[in-house]
Amino acid sequence: MALVGRSVPRADGPAKVAGTARYVDDLTRPGALLGATLRSPVARGRLRGIRRDPAFDWAGVTVVTAEDVPVNVVALIEEDQPVLASDEVRHAYEPIALVAAEDPVRLARALRALTPEIEPLPPVLTVADALARKAQIHGPDNVFATYRISKGDAAQAIASSPVRLTGRYRTHHQEQLYIEPQGMLAFWDANGAHLVGSLQCPFYVHKGVKRTFSLDDAHVDVTQAVTGGGFGGKEEYPTLLALHALLLAKKSGRPVKMIYNRQEDVEATTKRHPCEVTIESGCDREGNLSAVSIKVLMDGGAYVTLTPVVLSRAALHAAGAYRWEHVAIEAVAVATNTPPNGAFRGFGAPQTIWAIERHMDRIARELSADPLELREKNLLRVGDTTPTGQFLKESVGVQRCVEEARKASGWDKKRASLGAAAPTRPVSALLRRSAPGGSAPRKARGIGASVFLHGAGFTGSGERRLKGRVAIDMLRGPSGKKPLFRIRTASTEIGQGTETVFRQIAAEALWVSMDRVEFATPSTSVVPDSGPTVASRTVMIVGSIVERAARDLFARTENERQKGGGSFDDAALRLLAGKEPVVSEKTYETPGDVVWDDETYRGDAYPVFAWGCDIAEVEVDLDTFETTVLGFWAVQDVGKAINPLLCKGQIEGGTLQAIGWALNERLVVEEGRILNARMANYIVPTSLDAPRFTTVLVEDPYSMGPGGGAKGIGELPMDGGAPAIAAAIEHATGIVRDDLPLLPEDLFAARRTGT
Amino acid sequence: MRIAFVLNGKKRALDAPPLARLLDLLRGPLGLTGTKEGCGEGECGSCTVLLDGVPVNACLVVAGQCDGRTVLTVEGLGTKDGLSDLQDAFVKEGGAQCGICTPGILMAAHALLTANPQPGEGEIRESIAGNVCRCTGYQRIVESIRHAAKERASRESG
Amino acid sequence: MNPAELALYPFERPATLAELCHTLSARAGRRERTVLLAGGTDWIVERGFAPPENPDDLPLVLDISRLPELRGIQLAKERAAIGAAATFLEIRSHPVLLRRVPVLTAMAREVGAVQIQARGTLGGNLATASPAADGAAALMALDADVVLASVHGERRVPLTQFFTGYRATRRAEDEVIVRVEFVLPRTGAHQAWRKVGTRAAQAISKVALAAVAEFERGRGVRAGFGMASVSPVTASLPTVRALALAPSLASVSDEELDAATRHDIAPIDDIRSTAAYRAHVASALVKAFFRELRAAAGS
Repeated sequence: MALVGRSVPRADGPAKVAGTARYVDDLTRPGALLGATLRSPVARGRLRGIRRDPAFDWAGVTVVTAEDVPVNVVALIEEDQPVLASDEVRHAYEPIALVAAEDPVRLARALRALTPEIEPLPPVLTVADALARKAQIHGPDNVFATYRISKGDAAQAIASSPVRLTGRYRTHHQEQLYIEPQGMLAFWDANGAHLVGSLQCPFYVHKGVKRTFSLDDAHVDVTQAVTGGGFGGKEEYPTLLALHALLLAKKSGRPVKMIYNRQEDVEATTKRHPCEVTIESGCDREGNLSAVSIKVLMDGGAYVTLTPVVLSRAALHAAGAYRWEHVAIEAVAVATNTPPNGAFRGFGAPQTIWAIERHMDRIARELSADPLELREKNLLRVGDTTPTGQFLKESVGVQRCVEEARKASGWDKKRASLGAAAPTRPVSALLRRSAPGGSAPRKARGIGASVFLHGAGFTGSGERRLKGRVAIDMLRGPSGKKPLFRIRTASTEIGQGTETVFRQIAAEALWVSMDRVEFATPSTSVVPDSGPTVASRTVMIVGSIVERAARDLFARTENERQKGGGSFDDAALRLLAGKEPVVSEKTYETPGDVVWDDETYRGDAYPVFAWGCDIAEVEVDLDTFETTVLGFWAVQDVGKAINPLLCKGQIEGGTLQAIGWALNERLVVEEGRILNARMANYIVPTSLDAPRFTTVLVEDPYSMGPGGGAKGIGELPMDGGAPAIAAAIEHATGIVRDDLPLLPEDLFAARRTGT
Repeated sequence: MRIAFVLNGKKRALDAPPLARLLDLLRGPLGLTGTKEGCGEGECGSCTVLLDGVPVNACLVVAGQCDGRTVLTVEGLGTKDGLSDLQDAFVKEGGAQCGICTPGILMAAHALLTANPQPGEGEIRESIAGNVCRCTGYQRIVESIRHAAKERASRESG
Repeated sequence: MNPAELALYPFERPATLAELCHTLSARAGRRERTVLLAGGTDWIVERGFAPPENPDDLPLVLDISRLPELRGIQLAKERAAIGAAATFLEIRSHPVLLRRVPVLTAMAREVGAVQIQARGTLGGNLATASPAADGAAALMALDADVVLASVHGERRVPLTQFFTGYRATRRAEDEVIVRVEFVLPRTGAHQAWRKVGTRAAQAISKVALAAVAEFERGRGVRAGFGMASVSPVTASLPTVRALALAPSLASVSDEELDAATRHDIAPIDDIRSTAAYRAHVASALVKAFFRELRAAAGS
């Protein structure tokens, strides 16, 4: 009855396809008001006041300003962000006041009857201006965080290398664009504050509420509603929205629901950090890499949010999946007066992986080497050490990923037959419709590759500090005969399959069928703090706690069976007949040999890495520079796939986000304001833009992973898509792009200027 | 304004502002929250319902234009015994992840399979091109629809 | 404004064209504003982004989506008459149009996606007069006439003269577009629709070209072009048209085509694209169409 490794149908599937799954906007409470946010129209200024239109009938309308906020900070890494601006406004769309009213029409009018009075100040809008200290907007130097990683003597080694190459690579904003906008329902009662919302991390919200309202653990309850996608966008931001809804609920004495519309969601919530990476490398003429020096510069936006952690992950992935004897990495994140950037699937790694992968293609170009061969020659292997000195002792499946990808995609043949150097007869894309007249389009095809890694779990000492916990209860079944089990965890189901996979892991360890394992709705008063649903840690870290708790319950029941006889269920019922509830709560134990030093940035940055090789085949229209992805091969080492179908779904979805980042998505920001905050002009791929994926799971198990070796793969697929597409475009057209995005206008401009 | 229409096979009548969005009527007074709002501007397709059998964005259809017509929502897809074969295929084949786009995609797919029981991959992709999904990369959705079509064909021939 | 505020607008559904014209005339006389609502794919969308209107002075919204006189697609004597309330979905699946006017059906198939095609109408596409309107570009290439009705009867305006400026037309306040009419391209005419949009579906045109060229004994007798998103109004490319009717297509050089295209358009930078890219693509699409014509002439 092996459950692990089987593509069982997802547990939350039936309710989702029936339309009965309840998302936050599907919920209400008696007497609930609707809430909305008054935001800053300017990027920086001094808030002088908020004018209320005296002609407006304010009866029944609740208005909240900074004065109403007990402790006006959002508790995250630092406490630099106010819940509502009280003095200086630091970015466009920064919340200034809140309004609640009975119905949406009254609400819209009340919001319009409020006018913020802001004296504009000169904003810092670019990283260059921040570094030049055009204005002082954070600390003494506008720097949020700096990290340095060093191994050997990179400068010296590069200087003495036969082939020295330098490149600068830029990436742009990206909007998560989960299809369900952010939303929160808040109310107060004798037990304190209650929240139900669309969120990834109930205990992040919990922490923020405790801090702002000076409440203890017992007086805050945060419950996750069914959540329509997150991708990091619902990691830290929901805390702010929860505080807003609670403030309105407190002042009005009524429940308050706040649901962002799409424009507000795109404008006000966090984005992927734009990044500039400069790489200098040294290698020999045969392509043996020796040394690399990398500078990472990130735009954090107006507040710290999670920027230091994003920056850290960017730095830790900057050298890519390759062996370098000498490494020097410096990563800096600065403040600008733009909406704060924050968590987005990949969390810094896609930015630096873009850079190192484009740089690998630069080296291949210089050496006239096959780009995949160059990569293969330098791949990290078991026994190698990473830039932080981490010794790779197991589960490095990258070589197999490359081999499988090369074979499945037909790399060798296509690399020789396609491309700018070898124009072939154009074919129309499988799905793009051809002109009715059939005018012969001029097109070129090419194929490109990327190789990448992603550290699973929190960085460095994160898991050791966090001590994530999971509980499993044994409960009486409905018939009283067959006991049930209930997993209690703060790891949320946000579409990625947490519920299903956890139930598979637990059922397997308990030797029961899956329908006897329930998944408790994550609610901070019911579940222990398993840590946030982020960092590719859910299956690998929290899943391993689920497994241990389930094994513990199984062992206790089995022990009882051996003592008292009967079946497993008989023994379980005997345990349940006792006075104490039958529950196993387990805490994550970081493997003893995983050691990290935050001061020197040396040691085991992650317990283990997942690995991947992406290959893209594209066709570029030489008249219009539109790129069609004809095929995409995603081959990724996941350790062990608990549910292969869900695992492939993660890889395909993450990869399409990466392809969209490269080919479609472009956030237009001017004067700190977002000009395309609509789904009509922030363009993500449709079913006709998406390629047909060939997804291959490589399983090189991680000894501490659940289910026989699972690793975290939530973010991995976001890392390799963009550079593979860029490489394929280069192969097809000869156009070399070191900056994202790769929209037709960008390729056209690059071609015209010959850069 | 008095609006009378057939909703999920049943005659319904209610008073509503004539320019209220069909989406708000469904989710509000009619209590059918399976139809989702993702953008409010006809771009994401999450609010797709069938109006006289044709997929439309319920955020762009107003109440006054529904009078005398037939509306089918995700709540009307299932059978007496539970999920329809198409819904079931989405569960089995991984067509739903976060699920917020799923009701709209099911409606578009239902319309496709009604008009064209054996669509090719291109036709499937075109039929759901007005439904944005940010989770799946679309492949499992395409497979789900294909699977449902195949099952129907084998039932009919068997 | 908030979409919920739509509920405040007054609404009527005239039963006949005569009733509609009467209402329009009376309201125009009183200088009262009226909105003609068909599929709502423009007006309702834009309400969400428009500033709110004075609740005491809201326009009357008239639903014309089901007016019998505005519905249907008629074909007679080599002429097509397409009702203003015909949807893109009806157009793209019309068997005769599919055979005879692929420039139109291909265009309709690439408007938005099926949900928008089911609601969007040809009349709305013309009335809103967006330079990005795909329907307007295709009809321009067909040299269609716009038929307007009012209490004074019908009048006919060639589409080439219908648009007077950015989002402005010759339709008077008391008029409604009832249909468009055009002569069917003769069998064997070269027709092309090429949309370069923001993505493969659910896209707004960055540039789109509609082209129709008819030949008689190797000699061009009619050429029509329409181009979206390259000037304040749908471009009819008159200079390019003249080149398509040149005695010998082989003698028309790419440089001449580039110059003609450049002369006929005035592209700008906006949220979707750049002027430089649009100018390049406009030329490229025109040249591609001429390559096809030359190839056909040579074969």
